[in-house]
Amino acid sequence: MRKRLVSVMLGTAMAVSALSGMPVAAEESYTIATVVKDMSDPWCLRHQEGVEEYAEETGYNCYVKGASKTDSAEQIQILENLIEQDIDALCVVPIDPEACKPVLAKAREKGIVVITHEAEGFEECDFDLEAFNNQEYGEAMMDQLAAAVGEEGSYVTMVAFLSSTSHNQWMDAAVAHQKEAYPNMTLIPEERIECEDNMDMAYNKAKEIIKKYPDIKGFLGASSYDPPGAAKAIDELGMTGNMFAVGTGVPSVSGPYLQSGSNPCVLCWDPALSGKAMCQLAVMVLEGKAADVQTGLDLGIEGYENVNVNGTDVSGNAILVIDKDNMAEYQF
Amino acid sequence: MSFKKILKRNEFYIVIIIIALSLIIQAKSGQFFTENNLVDLARSLIVPGMMASGLFMVIASGNIDVSFPYTAMLCMFGVTKLFQTIDYQGPVAAGFLLAAVIGAFLGLINGILAAWLKLPTLIITLGTCTIYLGFTQGVLKSSVISVLPTPLADMAATNLFSVRNAVTNLGSSMPISIFLLIGALLLVGFIMKYTMLGRGIYAVGGDPVAAERVGFNVKAIRIFVFTFCGMMGGITGLTQVTLSGMCQINFFDGYEMTIIAAVVLGGASIAGGSGSVIGTFLGVLLMKLISNNLILLGIPTNWSKLMTGVLIIAGVCISSYKAVAAERKITSNILDSKSGKEAAHE
Repeated sequence: MRKRLVSVMLGTAMAVSALSGMPVAAEESYTIATVVKDMSDPWCLRHQEGVEEYAEETGYNCYVKGASKTDSAEQIQILENLIEQDIDALCVVPIDPEACKPVLAKAREKGIVVITHEAEGFEECDFDLEAFNNQEYGEAMMDQLAAAVGEEGSYVTMVAFLSSTSHNQWMDAAVAHQKEAYPNMTLIPEERIECEDNMDMAYNKAKEIIKKYPDIKGFLGASSYDPPGAAKAIDELGMTGNMFAVGTGVPSVSGPYLQSGSNPCVLCWDPALSGKAMCQLAVMVLEGKAADVQTGLDLGIEGYENVNVNGTDVSGNAILVIDKDNMAEYQF
Repeated sequence: MSFKKILKRNEFYIVIIIIALSLIIQAKSGQFFTENNLVDLARSLIVPGMMASGLFMVIASGNIDVSFPYTAMLCMFGVTKLFQTIDYQGPVAAGFLLAAVIGAFLGLINGILAAWLKLPTLIITLGTCTIYLGFTQGVLKSSVISVLPTPLADMAATNLFSVRNAVTNLGSSMPISIFLLIGALLLVGFIMKYTMLGRGIYAVGGDPVAAERVGFNVKAIRIFVFTFCGMMGGITGLTQVTLSGMCQINFFDGYEMTIIAAVVLGGASIAGGSGSVIGTFLGVLLMKLISNNLILLGIPTNWSKLMTGVLIIAGVCISSYKAVAAERKITSNILDSKSGKEAAHE
């Protein structure tokens, strides 16, 4: 019985390896799985659009999976399941990069190419792709906030979690930039508020901040739910025009507040383009061209025509500033 | 009610904690007893208060339900999406009715499983909550809805009254959904206190075997409490949409634990058979006071979770200490009378 089982397993293994080997021999086709943060989020759906577009253009088998809500444990489970399947590359937008380390290490041991996003400096990957240099993005956000508040007054920063790598890097850069360039602005003692990617929480926390600091001028939000949440609080407390919330945002959520003016503008990058760029990077590694990933490389994708490479960190120049006037062009 | 009796009541101690905490927040920030803050506080009680009133019945009957936030999520997204798809323009009440029906149906599933399967209801509702989440995600294809259908948007824009603080110039508006909270509390209070059904819920929570012998239909009562909790969840879900002005399915993340904690904080025993709707409301009030005032209290972000946990444990300890003390007194009375009798025999 056991012998038979072993032989069946061996047979299956051989068949699987033969099958997986076959397309490579015939034509370079790869299976690339992308794992996003939260499939209910239009942001991630836009990411999916980009990946699907890439699949169509190249003919590779690319698909997107993601947690049903922003839940790191669920995301890791999805990664665990995927690496048991026959995939060549894994593009991941980790919710909690630290927590994803073991599973991604396992994936790399199995020879799967790992490309991460929104996790600069991450070790367990072949490359980490950022839409822009995190420092430049933080500085750009601060420039927009400073312009909105007239370069003076107090402000606070908001992130999804104190453990979110990129969010905190942006805010560190923004605060450092403010100290240097906008001396008349001050960070309130609370410094950084955690809103868990939840607009209701951002709204409640912003309300509380406004009560404690009625003369606060600005909110700088890293999560795309922070600026609209804070803007809702501003509008509701009757402070429209006196206080402003700037930061990462998407037109689909920030729309009403871009109109009311409490979000003078929101910044982001197009997740469809970064999704494509991640797949493109994965393909380069699979083709054995990892050594070609050098500063100045053109990935052939808008905003990633002249990337910056620092070790395994790859960054583009794809900052997008969306305001009331151009919001109609971006449907996500 | 005599003062001595009041002293024995759990609610009395929660009120004292609430007053003490309010005074501390006021002293620390000077922003607690302002008209806009009080309206904000009332506003923040609507959703958790309604959920807790439904859950209180389940807990009083000796069961537990962790699926209600997911019921709320499903109803919230389902109804909002439906209205958006068919471009519904009629009265908003139809939406609430629909959410209540769907919620009640989901609760009924929990109830039937709980009544017939004889499994711990924690396991049953853990299972169904995953199904509800999966359904919202897979079948309904959940996403963020930021432009609400007209009836819901109109309700979101309708306020009972608005206040403005003369000093800070901060305003706040009372949403009409506060009536839903008041209605829910009155309804639950009435059922629990004045109907045979309510007595039955306490009886089943206290001792299901005894309740059955007395003549209560234990299965029917179980089914009722879960259905009711689901219905409240459904209504609450749609209420949250009108409060937030958008629909994001992670609104209720972590609610199962905070609401259960609030109900227990309010004096309901997790084993069932006790508690009151007033206590439940006070429990929610205390929870919200803690979670919504950490910034006003000046607690740094990286300490906030620790502080929330410590305050909850402290609250539960204080409110249950009295119950333990009262029990000890009863036990010692029995022992005393026993030893008294023995002494008489000798």
